[in-house]
Amino acid sequence: MGLSIGIDVGGTKIAAGVVGADGKIGARAQRDTPADSTDETAQAICDAAAELIKEHEVEAVGIGAAGFVSSDRSTVLFAPNLAWRDEPLGRRVSEVLKVPVVVENDANAAAWGEFAFGAAKNVEHMVCVTVGTGIGGGVVIEGELLRGAHGVAAELGHMRVVPGGHRCGCGGRGCWEQYASGRALVREARAQAESGSLAAAQMLSVCGITDSAELTGPMITEAAAAGDPCAVELLDDLGRWLGEGLASIATLFDPSTIVIGGGVSAAKELLLKSAQVAFEKNLPAKANRPHPSFGLAELGNDAGIIGAADLARRPAGR
Amino acid sequence: MALTQALTIGIDIGGTKVAAGVVDPEGNILDRLRRDTPTKDPRETEDAIAEIVHDLESRHDVIAVGIGAAGFVDGTRSSVLFAPHLAWRHEPLRDAVERRLGLPVVVENDANAAAWSEWRFGGGQGESHLVCVTLGTGIGGAILNDGALQRGKFGIAGEFGHMQVVPGGHRCECGNRGCWEQYASGNALTREARELALSGSPVAHNLLRAADGDPRKINGPMVTELAKDGDPVAVELLEDVGRWLGIGLANLAAALDPGTFVIGGGVSDAGELLLAPAREAFKRTLTGRGFRPEARIVRAVLGPEAGMVGAADLAREEATWLRRVRVKTTAVTAKTAARSGRSTRLERAARKSVGRRTGMRTAAPDPERELQDETEV
Ligand SMILES: [Zn+2]
Ligand SMILES: [Zn+2]
Repeated sequence: MGLSIGIDVGGTKIAAGVVGADGKIGARAQRDTPADSTDETAQAICDAAAELIKEHEVEAVGIGAAGFVSSDRSTVLFAPNLAWRDEPLGRRVSEVLKVPVVVENDANAAAWGEFAFGAAKNVEHMVCVTVGTGIGGGVVIEGELLRGAHGVAAELGHMRVVPGGHRCGCGGRGCWEQYASGRALVREARAQAESGSLAAAQMLSVCGITDSAELTGPMITEAAAAGDPCAVELLDDLGRWLGEGLASIATLFDPSTIVIGGGVSAAKELLLKSAQVAFEKNLPAKANRPHPSFGLAELGNDAGIIGAADLARRPAGR
Repeated sequence: MALTQALTIGIDIGGTKVAAGVVDPEGNILDRLRRDTPTKDPRETEDAIAEIVHDLESRHDVIAVGIGAAGFVDGTRSSVLFAPHLAWRHEPLRDAVERRLGLPVVVENDANAAAWSEWRFGGGQGESHLVCVTLGTGIGGAILNDGALQRGKFGIAGEFGHMQVVPGGHRCECGNRGCWEQYASGNALTREARELALSGSPVAHNLLRAADGDPRKINGPMVTELAKDGDPVAVELLEDVGRWLGIGLANLAAALDPGTFVIGGGVSDAGELLLAPAREAFKRTLTGRGFRPEARIVRAVLGPEAGMVGAADLAREEATWLRRVRVKTTAVTAKTAARSGRSTRLERAARKSVGRRTGMRTAAPDPERELQDETEV
């Protein structure tokens, strides 16, 4: 296998990299994600890839995008944060670049990256959750990515965990990602600050801000790392929701390894510990079954690029 | 007799009954037997299995036995790790029964066995991405991708009933709270109906009358019968269960994205009284609805014997495969190998590959090829 390009299309940035057969990223290129034009987004993706293709011989391009991707890996059916509806992204980009292009769900790409080169190398049954603003899921069964009948499997963040709970962008209520994501962390932190809690006021001062509207996930993580009790508690709660949800997911797929990645996983042990405790506690019939291992992702923000590039080299995406 | 015409026995071990049948390759049941599950003792259950098989064997020429059991069956499909209604803990059921019967034996989770038969002969035929949900006292589940049962790493995938749907909800025998099967199963239907009757509400009048005035005698089939007769309260009770069913199915669709859901088990006897509200709730809960293709929700067609038929058919798959391999290599017959309780390396390899075929993958390694590999060593 030769070189391929992986492209991670995020809400603000388009990050591309040339990836070798060893899963290592060589050259990189980056563009801002255009605000709401699908044409401009496709153009920016082409620009980033073309910049790399100029200098490198690549055999394929893989694009990881948030949203529902058709099972033939060419069309974005629906993207929550971009204006894509039935967008033939793969064909459009391929026509410009003159190389084969596949489109993958971004969380699937990240899961594949961790499976092929990261925290779950050679693990045949794994579940990877990417905890960022929302929660993305990727599932590997018997060494193959789970795609489902229509290509939209492993939308784990939109499993309902609270009847009549918080509204979600997917149109539902009480989705898991409303409780165990970066967005949930910030929402809860702000709510606590607005409630007038002294502990939250202290957290704001540790973060160096006075207005709770300025709070961000990384700020809370930093405050927790510095030992702020309010921030520690907030991450603890998040971890509990994460672990409880993962226990349900383990009953479906029976994986041997669960990997937690994404921006929020930067909190490491502050998140992982409570997640693992909740997971072990909530695993059904826990005394009478093997328990999967539980760990942090290893590839960081590059998982999506590496995974998309590697999947692009595999004809069936396996 | 061509092997493809051979008969096998399927056995469904429930908490109170052992049901067995002789099944032909088209999934027809030619003969049936039923026994009470003697005790919870594993040895006595083995005795009961052996008795039943000998009885059926005296009238039919069978080549293998498949056992479907409620519980966690390990990844090699030889041991029952845990059975909620029986005293099995890491019980090496397959080898024990094989030794006694001198026939190849397959052990399978009961919901997996039922799903397999729905895929082969029932409501899931031709579906490449099938999810089966069996609504009995609890909820059993199974995933079939391209005709391959998905068992997970340790053999216990598809335990949908214990997915949490209500934080801090009803207690479940698995040790947790708020499991799906506490809301969308026969037990849930019965619990809600009894609670309503106990509340003394006049709307439960018909229910109470059907149960001779004793709320504790109310059961699921009673509710279903009343609902079919148009009793509005019974219809509502089934609607509630159906709604929870649809909500859970939407979760499964988010995670698994199947083309078809097949709904079986005793509660599914209610038919559209259950499935219509389930579809409605599914459509209202499904993530990204309106922007994605949606799975069909259909009723299972094989009824309560699906598990028995599926276990028998899985046993045929494996036995046919083992014989093809054995006939060509060694003089070890199925019976002596099984009696000795040992299996050759080749058998283990064949078992593994057929396990994958009926389990993990569609494409099995070519038997001839496997033979070569073995002789070369
Ligand atoms: Zn959602
Ligand atoms: Zn449970």
